[in-house]
Amino acid sequence: MELFIQVAVSGLLLGGVYALLSIGLTLIFGVVRIINFAHGELLMVAMYLTFWLFQAQHIDPYLSILIVAPALFVFGMGVQRFIIQPIFDSPALMKIFVTVGLFIALQNLALMLFKADFRTIQTSYSMATIDIGNINVSVPRLVAFVFALVLLAGLYAMLKYTLTGKALRAVAENRVVAQLMGIRVQRLYLIAFGLGSAMTGIAGALLLPFTYVFPTVGGIYTLLAFVVVVLGGMGNMAGAFLGGIFIGLIESFSGVYISPALKEAVYFVIFILILLVRPQGLFGRGKGTEEVGLK
Amino acid sequence: MKRWSVMVVILGLLMVIGHVERVQCQPLRIGALYPVSGALALLGDESWRGAEIARQMRNQKGGVAGKQVEFMKVDIPDGNAAKSEAERLINREGLKLLTGTYSSSLCLAASEVAARAGIIYFEQGGISDLITSRGYKTLLRTCPKAQYFSRSQVRFARDWVGPQINKKAGEIRLALVHEDSAYGSSISKNVEAEAKAAGVPLVSVIPYNAQAVDLSSVILKLKSDKPDVVIGVSYANDAILLGRQAKELGLDIKAFIGTGGGHSLRSFQEALGPAAEGVLNVDFTQYEVNTQFTPGLKEFVEMYRKLFNEAPRSGHSMANFTGTNVLFDLLEKTGGNMEAAKFRQTAAAFELKTGSTASGWGVKFDDGGQNTLADPFVMEWKGGKLVTVWPEGAAVSKPTLIRPFSK
Repeated sequence: MELFIQVAVSGLLLGGVYALLSIGLTLIFGVVRIINFAHGELLMVAMYLTFWLFQAQHIDPYLSILIVAPALFVFGMGVQRFIIQPIFDSPALMKIFVTVGLFIALQNLALMLFKADFRTIQTSYSMATIDIGNINVSVPRLVAFVFALVLLAGLYAMLKYTLTGKALRAVAENRVVAQLMGIRVQRLYLIAFGLGSAMTGIAGALLLPFTYVFPTVGGIYTLLAFVVVVLGGMGNMAGAFLGGIFIGLIESFSGVYISPALKEAVYFVIFILILLVRPQGLFGRGKGTEEVGLK
Repeated sequence: MKRWSVMVVILGLLMVIGHVERVQCQPLRIGALYPVSGALALLGDESWRGAEIARQMRNQKGGVAGKQVEFMKVDIPDGNAAKSEAERLINREGLKLLTGTYSSSLCLAASEVAARAGIIYFEQGGISDLITSRGYKTLLRTCPKAQYFSRSQVRFARDWVGPQINKKAGEIRLALVHEDSAYGSSISKNVEAEAKAAGVPLVSVIPYNAQAVDLSSVILKLKSDKPDVVIGVSYANDAILLGRQAKELGLDIKAFIGTGGGHSLRSFQEALGPAAEGVLNVDFTQYEVNTQFTPGLKEFVEMYRKLFNEAPRSGHSMANFTGTNVLFDLLEKTGGNMEAAKFRQTAAAFELKTGSTASGWGVKFDDGGQNTLADPFVMEWKGGKLVTVWPEGAAVSKPTLIRPFSK
């Protein structure tokens, strides 16, 4: 029983990490309608930035969010303005290729700058735990979990109650009509891409205390984030959170009760089965929203 | 006219003598194949340095069988190069003996060529079990094979950890955690075989993907299986992740023994800090070792510094220094004869007891050409350093039973 609870707790915490990874992607995806293959690389950039701030400037990773998030916001806007906007009227496939190119470029730039070494940081709380009976809760993972919830709530409130948020939702629903209503669509795309990147930046800073970074780390996270986002229903923020938790729990339970070597296989099989029944994902808004790259 | 003929006779005699002398001074030529460019360059070059130091030291002392030794050094960055360079050395340069190689896959390619030509291949660094299991009568290997790593781990668990926790061989609960690529999977078969041979029950075998971002399920599975000793086979990043999550989840075991790889790296110690304290590892001989057990090691390190202006970068040079010395000893016995059957026969009769070479290994070749007395030693992270703790003769300090990943 104790083991069962511990597995559940570990699964929930892992799910929180996955959700955190995916919120930024689902925002970019839902509004700009671009499949961003460089998502993991944005995370990698954020992690290296956090690593550098800690190593060279001795800034705590949690504090460095204040620098990393704005930096990634600007970086994301730059990507949208100078890489994606110029080809906005080209077919969806082209945009996918552009993000693939970006991911290869960023990866190799990182290889050149940082070598292929695995970098970790040692903070006082890197391996700290809260022990409730025999159940161990990792502190940095718990922080990541809480941040995922806070970001989700913040994003939800922003979309619901602010004018920019309403405009973002309008653009997400129908770009042409939104434009006809006088919404400056390109500007909102900039904001959406920037916000999504900033959230990914926060995720990077929160992840570094308990994981590691190396130039090709992005690939692992990109795949995970896509699974979470597609499972949760594309462009659905709450769906991304629940999708993350769902995958985390599946991974944890199948790892312990079946085999750690098979946990990926298990969640991909479940993923395929769910998509067969519900192509729009668990919390998708219905048929049609799974289409991407609308012109 | 008479004077002329005398001069001619004298000149002729001189030429004959000169020729005889040249024949006597003709050096022993040996092909040395190492990857010194490409991805394997660093440790390939480190291995080469060990062999080169052995050659220079031997030549200073008068060489082998009265002749100086020369290496024809070739770079083999990949399998194709290994194959074509081995062919060139044998067919074009007419060499009768090849050595190397650091990497198992390069050795497999090059020794294949040597075997077909009926020429001795003398391996000093590749550890794959496959190298000596092909049944080639032309192959000899001085360094340990992969199976010996598992043998050392299981014996350490049985002979040292067992008595410490008052358990007989049959009562010790052993577990294996390994990454699931070819590297980890091949070692897992060896651990299973060695545990069976030693009579230690293997209570769980847990494979995992080294690319995983979370390994909590591995640790939780271990917690439910309750082993005393865990053997781990990991790369760099997963070794760190496993260690961190073992600490977070409060894994309670008596000992953790790594298999070279990730657990021997400085980055592992840096990432885990005090939590790495007490983690054990099995590896080639390193420099934190009892020098009475490793005669010649001090001279080797001195010569290394003199030639290369730095401390040895890893134990690979030492392994090749030891191996090359054994090669020269064998050639001394054959009188410089490199003919395969004769060389192999001499090698079969050759013996050195454990603790009599620079790396502490003994020498006794089996029918497959494997040196059966090359044992990897057990090391322990102590005060941020990896020090040799077992077997007793080689140890610089006694092993301490610290619960791994607890501090």
